[in-house]
Amino acid sequence: MAEAILSKPKRESFWRSRAWRRFRRNPLAIAGAVIVVFFVLVAVFAPALTADRMGRNCLRDLGLRRSQAVKVLRNPLSGKFWRATLRPPKTCYKIPRKGYSPIPKAPSRRYPLGLAGGGYDIYYGLVWGTRTAFYVGILVVGIALLIGIVIGGAAGFLGGWIDNLLMRVTDVMYAFPGLVLVMVVVTIFSRTLTTIMLAIAVVAWPTYARMLRGNILKTKAQDFVDAARALGASPLRIFLRHVLPNSIGPLIILASLDIGSIVLSVAALSFLGLGPEVGFADWGQMVNFARGWIVGPPGEPLKFWYTWVWPGLAIALFVLGWNLLGDAVRDALDPRS
Amino acid sequence: MFEFTVRRLLQLPLVLFVVSLVIVGLMQFLPPSARAAAFVQSEQQLAHLDEIIQQYHLDAPFPVQYWTWLKNALHGNLGFSRVEKAPVWDAFKKRLPVSAELALYAFFPTLLVSIWLGVLAAIHRDRLLDQTVRVLSVIFWSIPTFVLGIALVAVVYGYLKLFGIGRLPPNLIIDLANQIAQHRYHPYTGLLTVDGPLNGRWDVAWAALKHLVLPVTTLVLVQGAQLVRVMRSSMLDELGKDYVRTARAKGLPEKVVYYKHARRNALIPIITLAGVMFAFLLNGVVITETIFNIPGLGQWAANAAIQLDQPAILGFALLTAFIVTTANIVVDLLYALVDPRIRYE
Repeated sequence: MAEAILSKPKRESFWRSRAWRRFRRNPLAIAGAVIVVFFVLVAVFAPALTADRMGRNCLRDLGLRRSQAVKVLRNPLSGKFWRATLRPPKTCYKIPRKGYSPIPKAPSRRYPLGLAGGGYDIYYGLVWGTRTAFYVGILVVGIALLIGIVIGGAAGFLGGWIDNLLMRVTDVMYAFPGLVLVMVVVTIFSRTLTTIMLAIAVVAWPTYARMLRGNILKTKAQDFVDAARALGASPLRIFLRHVLPNSIGPLIILASLDIGSIVLSVAALSFLGLGPEVGFADWGQMVNFARGWIVGPPGEPLKFWYTWVWPGLAIALFVLGWNLLGDAVRDALDPRS
Repeated sequence: MFEFTVRRLLQLPLVLFVVSLVIVGLMQFLPPSARAAAFVQSEQQLAHLDEIIQQYHLDAPFPVQYWTWLKNALHGNLGFSRVEKAPVWDAFKKRLPVSAELALYAFFPTLLVSIWLGVLAAIHRDRLLDQTVRVLSVIFWSIPTFVLGIALVAVVYGYLKLFGIGRLPPNLIIDLANQIAQHRYHPYTGLLTVDGPLNGRWDVAWAALKHLVLPVTTLVLVQGAQLVRVMRSSMLDELGKDYVRTARAKGLPEKVVYYKHARRNALIPIITLAGVMFAFLLNGVVITETIFNIPGLGQWAANAAIQLDQPAILGFALLTAFIVTTANIVVDLLYALVDPRIRYE
């Protein structure tokens, strides 16, 4: 008898759950997953994909000569391959330039997506920009989640005037247009990728805080919390061991799906010129490069199409992938449908 | 209701106080000379920053500084914008109508189109119409405002040679400036499509409308895509409720069930969302004004942020806070008006 009570209840396997079945049958979900996986692969294998066009500094920091680069970086058995894939030097994020001509150059065999104004290789920028996108997206969501968990957790678990105060602050933050707030922070502090990411995280947390607070209020009312209290557990222990783990699951899943919209905000900022330094592989900046070349010379209005179509497509596709995935997961988790 | 209105309106100064406190607080991270720009009135004064630091106690403790700032701000002195080459307050007056015109022309079509499409999609759930609306909405929701704007500039303006970039064609801008100087054109509201007809200048209004088409389309597509989704799911929620079944059971025509019963209730969450959307619209305005070269608040703010024009950015943030809070108050009041079940005690 005691054994039956003490033994953990069997968990329903994820692969046989209703949510997973519903997700699998949704063609839009599969499309989203395919797009996201494609970008993950591009990001992971960025060094191999761009081995033939790396910048001089990047090759130097990898300890490679140009003549060996392709062979070494496309050979998974070499140590350099793994070093470049797992911990590439910062200089590799600089887009190599072919000449310094301010006029963009149409796609060619050597530069399949063309050169942006300033001689920046668009293909290289897009491939390494995928890494930047994931890096920024994951980090910002992580920081925003952390803030949201602390504030939403405190508000939901402690209740009373703390709850009231924290939720009013959250309301104000929630209503404020994010881009404006980020502009304030970036103008006052320095304009580096780190500041921008922190600023966006500071804007993004209220959603998570609200959601967690709601979940915690529901969890708190359940019997096992009372049981833990009756057994003499400290409030901190109840919070960390019982309430939080039972409230946080869906939140983390849904937050991770926000990577797309976070990348969108960062891209909008760098498009405005408030992004990382010029030449850093970043999609928003690549669109910014195109700004002077949207309409071509008289007679050839679409002459420079490649300067904005490729980076624009990369951002839109990335965000689309995450949005499709997010929609499907939300649908699958929604108990109403 | 009256008491609620008063209480809600009293929140406005409170929110502005908190926001300004945060903003002035953030400014403490800047050196005094950079802060001094927030108190300057003219270009000449920029040369005498030391005196301004003395005069406004910019090396004093924070409460003293905040008090000085507040007194100044209440007198309409929000500092001098380097980008605008004019006081921040003047920039507000000049540029707010420009942005307001863009935002108003985008806001109402967005609401109407997305309510219409959302309801249609919900009624035709899982059929071709619904699938099309859903796929299109997720696509436009994913396209960044700036990419869509650039695409429209390149294809519609550049290739098809339709509509225009900027606010007015250059010859009309010069013409208007002359007319205003000679007091023959009176900018009553600053909105070209309103002032034009009032002054008998229908050509100005027509040109302004033509220049609004592309930025407004950009905003409507991007913002509408989000709203359609909400409207659709809200309508689906309502259609699943008991009163809809009752209405059908008593033999009401489907049209009456959809449009008289379900849609009215489905609109309630949209009102709340419209407030949030207004905030997003401000984000969108910054970007569209930059792309379409419209001399509104957003373009000014974007340039100010790039050139580190702090007084301009801080003023812009304050104004945004004011607009967003006001919009939210209006939404709350509308909410109570529309839904008789909601009562504020």
